[in-house]
Amino acid sequence: MLEYLKEYFDFKGLLICLALVGIGLLSVYSATYDVGAAASFEKQVIWTGVGVLALLAAAYFPLRALQRIAIPLYIVTIVILLVVLVIGKTISGSKSWFGVAGLGGQPSEFAKVATALALAAFLARTTTSLSNGKHLLTAIGIVLAPMILVIAEPDLGTAVVFFAMMLPVLYWAGASNFVLAAILAPIIAATGALLGTLTFLFTLLVGGALLYFTRENRFAAAVAFALTLAVGLTVQSAYERLQPYQQKRISTFLSPDLDPKGAGYNVLQSKVAIGSGGFLGKGYLQGTQTQLNFIPEQWTDFIFCVPGEEFGFLGASVIVILFTSLLLHGIKIASLSSNKFGSAAAIGIVSIFAVHVLINIGMSMGLTPVIGIPLPFLSYGGSALVANMVSVGLLMNFYAHRKEH
Amino acid sequence: MTGDGQFGSARRRRVLMIVVFLIFGILMLRLYELQLLYHGEMNKKSEENSVRAIVQDPIRGYMFDRNGQLVVDVGPSYAITLVPVDFDMKNLDLLSALLQIDPATLKDRIARARAYSPFLPSRIKRDVDTRTLAAIEEHLTNLRGISYQIESKRVYRTKAHASHLLGYRREISDAQLAQAGEDYRQGDLVGVAGLEARYEPLLRGEKGFEFVSVNSKGQIIGTFEDGKKNVSAREGYDLFLSADFGLQAYAESLMTDHSGAIVALDPSDGGILVLVSKPDYDPSIMSGVTPPDLWSELQSDTTKPLFNRATLTRYPPGSTFKMVLAAAALEEGVIDENYRIRCTGSFRFGNRVFKDLHVHGSVNIIEAIQRSCNVFFYQLMLKVGFEKWTEYGRRFGFGQLTGTDTGDETAGLLPSDAYYDARYGKGKWTQGYLISLAIGQGELGVSPLQMARFAAALANGGIVYQPHAVEFIHNKSTDRMERVHYDSSLVGLSPRVMAMLREGMRRVVQEPGGTGGLARIPGIVSAGKTGTAENPHGEAHAWYIGFAPFDNPRIAVAVMLENSGYGGSKAAPLARLIMQRYLFGGLPSNHPGPAPTQAAAVKTISQAVH
Repeated sequence: MLEYLKEYFDFKGLLICLALVGIGLLSVYSATYDVGAAASFEKQVIWTGVGVLALLAAAYFPLRALQRIAIPLYIVTIVILLVVLVIGKTISGSKSWFGVAGLGGQPSEFAKVATALALAAFLARTTTSLSNGKHLLTAIGIVLAPMILVIAEPDLGTAVVFFAMMLPVLYWAGASNFVLAAILAPIIAATGALLGTLTFLFTLLVGGALLYFTRENRFAAAVAFALTLAVGLTVQSAYERLQPYQQKRISTFLSPDLDPKGAGYNVLQSKVAIGSGGFLGKGYLQGTQTQLNFIPEQWTDFIFCVPGEEFGFLGASVIVILFTSLLLHGIKIASLSSNKFGSAAAIGIVSIFAVHVLINIGMSMGLTPVIGIPLPFLSYGGSALVANMVSVGLLMNFYAHRKEH
Repeated sequence: MTGDGQFGSARRRRVLMIVVFLIFGILMLRLYELQLLYHGEMNKKSEENSVRAIVQDPIRGYMFDRNGQLVVDVGPSYAITLVPVDFDMKNLDLLSALLQIDPATLKDRIARARAYSPFLPSRIKRDVDTRTLAAIEEHLTNLRGISYQIESKRVYRTKAHASHLLGYRREISDAQLAQAGEDYRQGDLVGVAGLEARYEPLLRGEKGFEFVSVNSKGQIIGTFEDGKKNVSAREGYDLFLSADFGLQAYAESLMTDHSGAIVALDPSDGGILVLVSKPDYDPSIMSGVTPPDLWSELQSDTTKPLFNRATLTRYPPGSTFKMVLAAAALEEGVIDENYRIRCTGSFRFGNRVFKDLHVHGSVNIIEAIQRSCNVFFYQLMLKVGFEKWTEYGRRFGFGQLTGTDTGDETAGLLPSDAYYDARYGKGKWTQGYLISLAIGQGELGVSPLQMARFAAALANGGIVYQPHAVEFIHNKSTDRMERVHYDSSLVGLSPRVMAMLREGMRRVVQEPGGTGGLARIPGIVSAGKTGTAENPHGEAHAWYIGFAPFDNPRIAVAVMLENSGYGGSKAAPLARLIMQRYLFGGLPSNHPGPAPTQAAAVKTISQAVH
């Protein structure tokens, strides 16, 4: 009986997920209980309940059916994103919140998973070959479509996640190094263009070098480089035509230190919170930074400060170790999986988690730019929690069906 | 699933796992760095963040005069405060009218207050009068965000101004603030002149701190650790002065129509009894925050009321300085009392003629002092020589700072060989330059304070004291009364010489033919010396130095009147009135009750002051 369960039920994934969710609830409670936002905690508990149901549903959804509906689901998601763009209400400066029964939902959270599934479904087709240029462009297009829509919201953070999810999946699916370089080079050049002419030239050089060393034929390499150059120049001239406030928003996005009272302030306070936690932390509900509300958005994007300050190095390490185990576990499922759909989708989900964890924890500690993306399972927010639990459910599903072709 | 280009190849799996481990490594390294390596620093920042110290200003030290009378007190001053978030800008005009600040200035101050903190009260007008305060209180319900806080200011409980003795305070400058460290903050008043400046570190006391917890908006949410870490303010030390404020007020009243200075010392210890510099100002106008317009008015006043003539002027002392030459001549044995010359009313040196006021006939040194015979001293100077004259001038403390505790002073000018060599070149000046110096004219500058010390040294038999205003300090930390110790030096005159000098000075006042007869006090023997400093720019400056009673001097005084004429006719009468008032005014001359305490504590305090 136990053998049977072990064969078909992914205990490990579920336990990691539940541990993280538990830490998340503790953190949200600590961050909100005495600032008149206690209702947030209750909402989060309700969302956790919804999340558990969604997780089970995702874990037991027939895999074949899932693979079949992946593309239609993706199309529905795109439509929803479009609707949000037109009528969505503005929260936190972007239009991504979708009023659902007064609870508010963020479709882009689900769009990430849906896109990963769609991409996996496309790559799993027996006819698909990444050495076919048309197929490759289609795969890229699947990711670019929702990515452009979230950029328009504007939700740059989520856009970064889309992009970062695409590369590992294509890599996993066997894309050549040159293809990966050709995708990466224009992005590097575009980022460089935003930072000034000198960095632009440098990133152009890096992109060129990447293309040169991975080249399969000279013509393709030249085309890719031309594209890189074109993207870079376009971005640069577009940047110059932006209003100063828009330019400022972009430069702040890239280096928050330029805005010490805004994003820079958050990072400073967040570093102080985590650093002051020390080895054992200040004790649950005892964090002065947390309890005195020095960190804005501490129950959403900066939630990591709360366990960092109150549980110290010990607690923070446990969280990092749990996330790392989840990522390794996901990669293991992907490589165990005999069917390409589950395998590629697992890598997509792992990538989404990885980017969130790296950027979110990184920004809390002043390592990465302040990109407004939540920490999976810990950050307050219903849609993200449910989407993340669905993702774990999907991993469990892929594990259970790993031996099916 | 083998080749690199295959779906889910083992090699690519390894690469992805390496990426995951890299992420893990980066995050753990950073956690280690922040939480273990920089924990202390971050913890300190975190505490600074959430705990605010509310400063509690200490009560500044009081000042008492030699009779134990409280003369410099502390009283309340009201500052109007504003909390920017609570204040409705619609009320700007009303507030502007009530505070009598024009709306533009007020707007600017509110903007600065907002920049400091939108949630905390900022002082927008300090030291308002009670009428303004009443008007504000009447409108408090309409003026949300407006309140007042009580600060302290000086209250003067004396009829005397004593402006240059007591000094004043001003709002601390940015430059001072940068140097001062944690003892001061923006808006604090700091002594910049007189005793307020000199004793600032003792008078100010120590600030107290009340620690409170605040949230990220700076709103106070409670006491920090139940106030266990609070530090209560320590009162400033009180000063017990040697000055007699009744006498000071009287001396000031005598000087109402004059420009000049009077300094009176206790010849037994150098304690300042009176220090008057006129014109002066009423210190109560600078008791709190001095309005800028008033300040610039005082500064641009052509009569220079802020200028301390008692310690900062350096006029020639006139004939009063003959006492220095006489001391040198007698002590060095150049002459004795039998040495006589015949005064013909003038003295020819080279091709220059130096005049005297009268033809004095045959005079010895005592008579020459009594009648202020110039010719006698012209000749004496040539006999004594420049070097000895300078040396004795120096012994009496001229050309040097007195070390007074009352504030800025000038060292004056006592010329010497070296001085003339530097000024005119070696060999380019002649003995003729010295002749004017013999009678205290020419390139010679002294302050009234130096002259009072000179008078005191002649009174007490040759002790040159460090003139001072503060005798005792009430140390609030130990609650002990501590005596402040001052330096003194000996002129080094033999009793016989000293007696001759004093006899000359006695005759100046007491005997017919003396130039200082107007200083005669009925019923008491006093002694003195008149002086008239020639002034190329106008009327001469009148000098008088003297002391009384002759046998047991209790007061030594120097009077200097700018552009007033002869010392004997102008300055001497004032000196007489002051001494008379002091000796017969029914004023006790003993020091206030508190006895000096342990020497060790005394030493610390004198070191702190000097």
